[in-house]
Amino acid sequence: MRKKKQGFRRPVIIKKPKQPQEQPSVDPITGKKIPKSFVFSRGKLPAPLKQLQMDLRKLMLPYTALSLREKKRNNLRDFLNVAGPMGVTHFFILSKTATSPYLRVATTPQGPTLTFKIHEYSLAADIARSQLHPRCPKDLFKSSALIVLSGFVSGDPPLQLTTNMFQNIFPTIDVKTVKLSTCQRIVLLNYNKDTKLIDFRHYSIRLQPVGVSRRIRKLVQSHQVPDLRNLLDVSNFVTKAGYGSESEADEEAATVTLSSDIGRVNRASTKSAVKLHEVGPRMTLQLVRIEKGLCSGEVLFSEYGKAGGKGKSDDEMQGEEDEEDQDGEHPEDSED
Amino acid sequence: MAEEMKMVEPGRGKRKFFKTQGHKKSSKKAKVMPPQHGQKKVKIDKKMKKLFRKRAREYNSDDEEDDEATVPATLEPKSLASITNKRNDKDGIESEDRSEDEGAAGPQKTWNKNATDMNYHSSDDEGEDDDEIQPGITKFTEGCRAFKMAFRNLMKKSVPDDMLGPILSGQRKLVVDKLAEEEAERKVKGEAKKEKQMLAEKGHVKPATYLDSHEKFLISVATKGVVKLFNAVNKAQTAQRGLDPSRTKDAKEIRKRTKQAFFSELGKPSLPAIGTTTKAKESTDRVEDEQPAWAPLRDNYMLTSSKLKDWDKMPDKNVSDDMGKTSEDSSSDED
Repeated sequence: MRKKKQGFRRPVIIKKPKQPQEQPSVDPITGKKIPKSFVFSRGKLPAPLKQLQMDLRKLMLPYTALSLREKKRNNLRDFLNVAGPMGVTHFFILSKTATSPYLRVATTPQGPTLTFKIHEYSLAADIARSQLHPRCPKDLFKSSALIVLSGFVSGDPPLQLTTNMFQNIFPTIDVKTVKLSTCQRIVLLNYNKDTKLIDFRHYSIRLQPVGVSRRIRKLVQSHQVPDLRNLLDVSNFVTKAGYGSESEADEEAATVTLSSDIGRVNRASTKSAVKLHEVGPRMTLQLVRIEKGLCSGEVLFSEYGKAGGKGKSDDEMQGEEDEEDQDGEHPEDSED
Repeated sequence: MAEEMKMVEPGRGKRKFFKTQGHKKSSKKAKVMPPQHGQKKVKIDKKMKKLFRKRAREYNSDDEEDDEATVPATLEPKSLASITNKRNDKDGIESEDRSEDEGAAGPQKTWNKNATDMNYHSSDDEGEDDDEIQPGITKFTEGCRAFKMAFRNLMKKSVPDDMLGPILSGQRKLVVDKLAEEEAERKVKGEAKKEKQMLAEKGHVKPATYLDSHEKFLISVATKGVVKLFNAVNKAQTAQRGLDPSRTKDAKEIRKRTKQAFFSELGKPSLPAIGTTTKAKESTDRVEDEQPAWAPLRDNYMLTSSKLKDWDKMPDKNVSDDMGKTSEDSSSDED
């Protein structure tokens, strides 16, 4: 009996790992489908472009596959087959040629494909390194980004299609029910008519209270204890006014009255200043081509393919030239 | 007269005998035992004895029979001396032949001849002068010979040094070539790596630490967009606070207010850049005007599939419109 008692052991309890919460595919309020995206590359990319791919995935983060992996054998159809059941609506495809890297934005099942030439790009790490105080709060990537389009006013059809495409990439915002605390990031697309280049920027939004002295604001925002050695009394800390920075002069235009509380500092029905900090990838794009299908089909717009001549024969000639361009410029696609 | 003649003849013969004897003795001593001095002294004593005996015989030269007896004795040592001289000559010839075979130069031969003459002179001197000088002279002659041999050896040795020279120089050249090739290969590899990096880094730009005017412009545009959005949200939500969308009256008021906001926004065309965003929001507002905020309360809640279909059809229409417009553009280009 004693031996048995000594030999007794507690039963081993195996804890099952918690399954991650599934993301909703339909917005519960507006009833619309939430757009999701895949960011992947075709062909072998050098290290900086791989990093750019990761930065783009973070940009699209709450509704994208952050750790998507592709192999050499994967072709576009494989991604399409996976995208269907997962509800993926858009593809971002990065590729590289001897001339420059390219970014394709495509709607999944049959949608049009926009091909952009990346003239210049900077990585998120580069931008963070270039700033004195890079900002990255922990909740930054838990909600999707807003999008601002400027300069797309002209009625050119390719620009309209571009605008429509990018607006549909990010989920729509219901003005009545949205929480401002979820508005953490903003993506800016600025079109320059003269150069036909699109500036792609990614900022994080920060709100500061207005009408409060600089010292008190800093004290409340950061929990650090201030240095009071040079002060005779605590009231001096409150009374003495600190100098403002140069950017505070523009606060009037960037002032906002909030409808709900955001954080510990910005209260409802009080004014707050909007501050933007650049985060993430920076790109200078040029629209090069629009194809009717998913990386295939009729070429609706081409920056280089126009040729003078008669109507029908011109169309045929344009088609041939486009095909030649495809073969010449994108041998990787032909390989796929 | 006859007596004088007789006296003269034996004197000459005697002198010759002395010379020949001197040759023999000097050669023998040099060859056999040069380093030992004691034996040399002993030999000297013998010579003195012989000399004394000869002088004694000369004093006793009155008897004719005695003279005849002495003459054949002297003749025999002459023959021995001649034999030894021949041997010496043979040795000299052999040495000369060796030098010729070895390939010595002309002056060496002349030097050898001079040496032989010196040998003869030294022998004569030895015979004429005292015997004390002989060992020093012999040492000198020995040294000369040794010097000859050493010099010849040195000359022989110098030749292979010349022969080894080109091999070493060749090796040095080979090493230099190898180093040059290695450096060239390294340069080529380095250049290839640089080219690869250039291709990889194409388009990759590191941003400046300060903000350009362009960057400031972009930030201001984005800020305006954010401000506009936040203000619109504020208006909508503050107007909506005290109302319950489930009630019909409140729903009506919500619709009215949204319409008012819509018209007020239409009245602000001053910022065309942000117009597109406002257009998008307006479209959403239009859709939401007809329906309550919560999806399940809407009449079309169960018909979302139809909405999806419409959404799928929209890009096709856009595509068709774009096709027509692109064709028009092409025609205009033709004109």
